Formats: sequence, structure tokens, C-alpha cells
Amino acid sequence: MRQKKGLVLRDVCGEKVIIGEGLEAIDFGRLLCLNETAAWLWQRASEIGDFTIEDLAEALYEEYEVSKEKAIQDVTTIVDKWKSADIITE
Amino acid sequence: MRKHYTVAGHGFIVDAESSVFTRMVQYQPFQDDSIDNTLFTARVHESVSPVIYTENYRQEDEGQTIICGETSDGNTVFEYQLENKIEGWLVCSHDYKEGDVYCTGHQWLFVLNNAMMMMYTVITSDRLTALFHSSVVSLKGRAYMFLGKSGTGKSTHSQLWIKHIEGTELVNDDNPVVRIIDGVARVYGSPWSGKTPCYRNVDYPVGGIVKLKQAPFNEIRRMKTIEAYVTLAMSISGMRWKKWMGDGIHETENQLTATVPLWHLSCLPDQEAAEVCSKAIINQEIK
Repeated sequence: MRQKKGLVLRDVCGEKVIIGEGLEAIDFGRLLCLNETAAWLWQRASEIGDFTIEDLAEALYEEYEVSKEKAIQDVTTIVDKWKSADIITE
Repeated sequence: MRKHYTVAGHGFIVDAESSVFTRMVQYQPFQDDSIDNTLFTARVHESVSPVIYTENYRQEDEGQTIICGETSDGNTVFEYQLENKIEGWLVCSHDYKEGDVYCTGHQWLFVLNNAMMMMYTVITSDRLTALFHSSVVSLKGRAYMFLGKSGTGKSTHSQLWIKHIEGTELVNDDNPVVRIIDGVARVYGSPWSGKTPCYRNVDYPVGGIVKLKQAPFNEIRRMKTIEAYVTLAMSISGMRWKKWMGDGIHETENQLTATVPLWHLSCLPDQEAAEVCSKAIINQEIK
């Protein structure tokens, strides 16, 4: 999976949001609020580029003290939200 | 011939035939020959041949069309049209510090104003400065900004304050500049003010920002953080096509969200709207 172009993770007075910027997203139509974990995962996904659920679960497992099963479960939930918000592509 | 101007403390130069300046009346209050530091220079030409470019995107609003594109050398180009007729172009240098403004005919002031606002917006985007789409009034040493889509009644609301709240004056009716200095947001008049000729070189600390929405009643509430940020983003004439511009505009929006109270006013175009609004936002300036 990949993040769509023209999306930027911003810190708005302490809250993490994804907004559209740049030529690919000139319509500032939407803004998506993320919790700490989702924002952290978004950052990882952006560094990886073409990422999988396993990549992110692995990163989450290493960074936070969670079991591998829980990591997969959490990442799947978050990635599903990204899919339905149409901010990533297969 | 060249003339220097300062808007919100940012200097720029216009280079044109002397006859052009005699008709740039709205810029006269901002002329400032003492300034050394200028951010950009605009050279004004009568157009001889069309500018060749590739279109990236276009904005259309009330008969005005602005097309943004790129020349084969990678220079950003804007084409300005009125009722589908080409009136001119702005061609920017790679660092956006120089711009050539080409005017084809009688609507050269329309082209010049849009080109100047564009250059000003881009070059100040990482300087805690933003050109707003807003109508602004002053009262007792502070300024209050009204935001909203075209046709919402920003100007009308300003006029209601002027009529019913003693001491209110119009600062700018369409394109004021907000600049944050040492953590304090100030709003400045500019040479651009839409259809209302109000080109005042004055500035005030921002006392409050109000987003207007037409409604069959008058009601005001304070906005929460994210709503305030989005409201600002929609009213700032920001260009976010380069990372440094997006980062800069975001920083300005963030600092404004944190320091200036933002309000949402559902309103009628009547005296009570001005009273409800002013009563709520004056003396409520500290979070």
C-alpha cells in the first residue's frame, strides 16, 4: 500500500491531523484527526513508502510494548480507517 | 521607473512606465522610499505576445479565471481572465523574488493587483504573514476580522458595526494582511480591498476573528481548535504547492489558532447581529 500524494501530517496545536497540500490536493476540503499511535504509524508508513500491514505491525511491536497479535490487530484497524478515508492506495 | 512599497512591514518594488504609477492610486498610501530591504520586484509590461505555458490547474470565481501553470523552463505562470478574455500574465522567477507582469489591455489594474497579491502571498508564506479574504473593522484600538465565503455578508456585517457601534471604522474590506510579531497577531490594511475603495495604511492587534454564516437568527459561539484551524486555512490566500510554503502557512495558522479567539456567528443582516457579535467578542480576547 502507499499513501496518496499531496497529504501532509501536521501538528495543529497539539492534535495530529492529515491535510491535503501541494498540487495534487489543491482543494483543502478535508482534514483527518489521528490519535498518537495512528500518527506515529502514518509517519512510519511514509518512511517505508510501499508498506504492508506486517511492516507497520513489526514497527509497532518494536516501538511499543505490545504483543505481535495485538500489533497486527491495531494496525489492521487503523489501516482500514485509512482505506475508508481514501488516503492510501492498494 | 521604480517605486518602493511596504505592506505589513514587507517591502517590494514595482518597476513600470511612469504613466502606470499615476493610476496606481490605491498603492500610494503604501509608498515607502525609505525602505532598503525588499522581498520582491514586479516589472510591469504591455504585452506584445502571449506567454506559452502548460496548465496545472485553474480557479474560477464570479467571472474571473486564474490559471496556474509552468513554462518549459519551470517558471510558475499565472494567466488572468475576465469573462473568458485573457487580460494578462504573471511569470515568476524560480525563487519567486522577481515577477514579470504582462497586461494585454484595459484591465491592467485587475492583472496587476492579482499578480501583486500572488507574489506577496508566496514570498511572505514563511514569514508568519498571511493575506486573508476578510472584511475588517477597528474599535478602541483593536481589529475584528469577519470571514466567510463570497456572498455571505462580510462587508454587510462590517457596515452594521459601523452604523450601530460607535467608534467602529473600516480597516479593509477584502484583503487585509495578518502578521505575527513576537507572538502577537496584528492585522494591516493593504492596497487590495475588493470592490470597496478602502486602502488604509493602518494596523491593529487582532481582537477576534469571526466566521459568518447566514441564518434566520443571531447566535455566536467560540470555536474549538481544529475548527478554528480549518476556518483560517480556508480564508488564507495561501499557495501550498512547495513544501516551504505549506510549512510556513501551517506555522502561521497554528500560531493564530493558539493566540487569537475564533468565533462562529450565525446571523441575519441586522442591528442585533452586530450587537450579539460585538458583545461576545470584545473583552473576551484572552483565552
